[in-house]
Amino acid sequence: MFGYVVRRLFNLIPTFLGATFLAFLVAQLVPGDFLAQRALEPNVRPETIERLRVQFGLDQPWPVQYVRWLGSLLQGDLGLSFSSNQPVWDLIAAPIRNSMVLVVASLVLLYALAIPLGVFSAVRQYSWADQIVSAISYFGLAIPNFFFAQVLILGLFLLRGFTRETFGFNELLLPVAQMTSSDFSDLNAWGRFLDVAHHTILPAFVVATSGVAGFTRVLRAQMIEYLSSDFIRTARAKGVGRRSITYKHALRPAVIPFVAGIGGILPTLIGGAGLVEIVVSWPGITPTLLAAIQRQDIYVVLGLVVVTTGLLMIGNLISDLLLAAVDPRIRYD
Amino acid sequence: MTTPGRPREANVEALEGLVERSMSQRQIAWRQFRRHRVAMVGAVVLIAMYLVTIFAGFLAPYGVNEYRTRPVAAFRPPTPIHWTHPDTGRLVRPYVYDVKVERDPVTFQRVYVEDTSTRYPIRFFVERPEATYSVLGLWESDLHLFGVDDPARIFLWGTNDLGKDVFSRVLYGGQVSLVIGVLAVWVSLGLGLLFGGIAGFYGGWVDEFVMRLVEVLSAIPSLFLLVVLASLLQDPRNPLAQAFGLEMNSAQTFLMVVLVLGFVGWGGLARTIRSLVLSIREMEYAAAAKALGASERRVLRRHLLPATASYVVVDLTLAIPGFILTETGLSFIGLGPSAVDTSSWGLLLADATARGISIQFVPWLLIPGIPIFLAVLSWNLVGDGLRDALDPRKRR
Repeated sequence: MFGYVVRRLFNLIPTFLGATFLAFLVAQLVPGDFLAQRALEPNVRPETIERLRVQFGLDQPWPVQYVRWLGSLLQGDLGLSFSSNQPVWDLIAAPIRNSMVLVVASLVLLYALAIPLGVFSAVRQYSWADQIVSAISYFGLAIPNFFFAQVLILGLFLLRGFTRETFGFNELLLPVAQMTSSDFSDLNAWGRFLDVAHHTILPAFVVATSGVAGFTRVLRAQMIEYLSSDFIRTARAKGVGRRSITYKHALRPAVIPFVAGIGGILPTLIGGAGLVEIVVSWPGITPTLLAAIQRQDIYVVLGLVVVTTGLLMIGNLISDLLLAAVDPRIRYD
Repeated sequence: MTTPGRPREANVEALEGLVERSMSQRQIAWRQFRRHRVAMVGAVVLIAMYLVTIFAGFLAPYGVNEYRTRPVAAFRPPTPIHWTHPDTGRLVRPYVYDVKVERDPVTFQRVYVEDTSTRYPIRFFVERPEATYSVLGLWESDLHLFGVDDPARIFLWGTNDLGKDVFSRVLYGGQVSLVIGVLAVWVSLGLGLLFGGIAGFYGGWVDEFVMRLVEVLSAIPSLFLLVVLASLLQDPRNPLAQAFGLEMNSAQTFLMVVLVLGFVGWGGLARTIRSLVLSIREMEYAAAAKALGASERRVLRRHLLPATASYVVVDLTLAIPGFILTETGLSFIGLGPSAVDTSSWGLLLADATARGISIQFVPWLLIPGIPIFLAVLSWNLVGDGLRDALDPRKRR
């Protein structure tokens, strides 16, 4: 097992290097640079621009820049941001943490919703409840995340209008913007946790929708296949209880692809969280990335790419290891 | 072998009475598809949507960018259409009222109040020279299905912050949002066939290299690639534009976004095609073709790639809704085809999240999300129907 992990980690190195190289190349292709933007400002002297250009190493050809950047990356240094002159890590650590809160929450939600729904509709195949679940999953696959977030926000406002009329309750059920309330700094640790959790519900639900829809459909198909297989019939003939058949005998092999799929859905979740982050003004990766791209603050952009790529790869590795833990037929030696 | 035509035909006719004629693969698939009721509904909805898109100029009362600064028309709610006479209550030809701008005495917000002094009947087949359009670039016209006389205006789905008609812009938006996915799929297909076919056929280090490339591409979060490539390729100074002397007008920006979408999406397709080619390559007919002296390229082109066709068709149909979603997302963050003289559903939805707007006061700005939803849903349904129709194991 340990040997396998080490081998996998070594295998990640070329992919990681390739990804950083490709990202650097693409970022380099963008015409002009941060300093070209600065040079347009009337109160910046050309000498200042030249000095900054040398200081940031922008006077060198791009392969040299890449090697330098990679060198400092290997020492754990992501470089300096052009626009704020701060270490990149200080700028992106908070957004990455905030996005992870959202992604992890929606991942939990995804499994908590998709597995019961999938099992439920497989056990009651072709019933009206099954039809409703499959209609909802088509709906979840087709609705753009950011639009769904907007619709839910509108719904919350309408609900507030309704409760104000009938109960005199003039509050939104869930907060629809930001990650924290305005009085966040006055709260104690538990209060802060609850506050963030309260703010996370809406975006996490939205980010999870398409995943839930896809998972439910596949899990249903898998369950149906296993429920009609020979070993289940044998178990039934032995007199194994219905509950035990569903949850122990059929569900366990059926969820295997989902465990393996965590790595596959992480990129979609991060990407999907992106636009939702914008709708609810979540202080996450995407708003930071967009702002950095607009300012051509290349090292911030690359820093975000490196960290998210690394996270994805680690996610993939973890899902492979989990797979071995769940499926006794798989052994890494 | 030189059988004269007539007796042979007579023979066939005689046979037809006795034996049921066997169907071609395509006929079987079509019959299966027609039985799939939901998929048929999806197909009909799609055909309707594409027809509306083609005739968007005719169906839309206003031009895609038409707006007037005076009188103010920003955030006008949908225009109510009246069917009954205000005094007698009798059913009359539908009409609308012009609106007056007033201020809410408490909140000081702008409110639009109907000016009931004059009725403006809705006219059909009106010519408005200020809103000309062309159908498929072939046929110029300024005839619109409906409209009202000045100074009244009819906004079926309200207006945005600049007072542009949301209804017209949604109809025009399909020309970007519905078309881009279908085009991007071809880019993806080209790249996927090329790299997947090569990797699967040649194997060895070529395979290793291509698959590593796909892995690297999928390791980078696609949002980053999309955003950076889109902002890169829309700059008139980008390398492609320099090489071909493009000045990045809206049509060229559109093509660039197509390229970006296709480029980001080819990896999965290449993987599918590679594994298919790998398995088919071992089939007897490929070996037979090789034994007969067919060149490698011929085996690849004539025997291996066509065998992957049915999978590829399904994969592509199911990829289109993904591209539509991606395009609307890109447009939503302002990196889609330019906003100046085109419209796109994602771009229209961005209006609803703009700074200083509270969605509860302008709910009609969310209407452009509905066609996105419908289009993606229908493509998914059609794709699922095709998969079932082309898969012999799923036949009923």
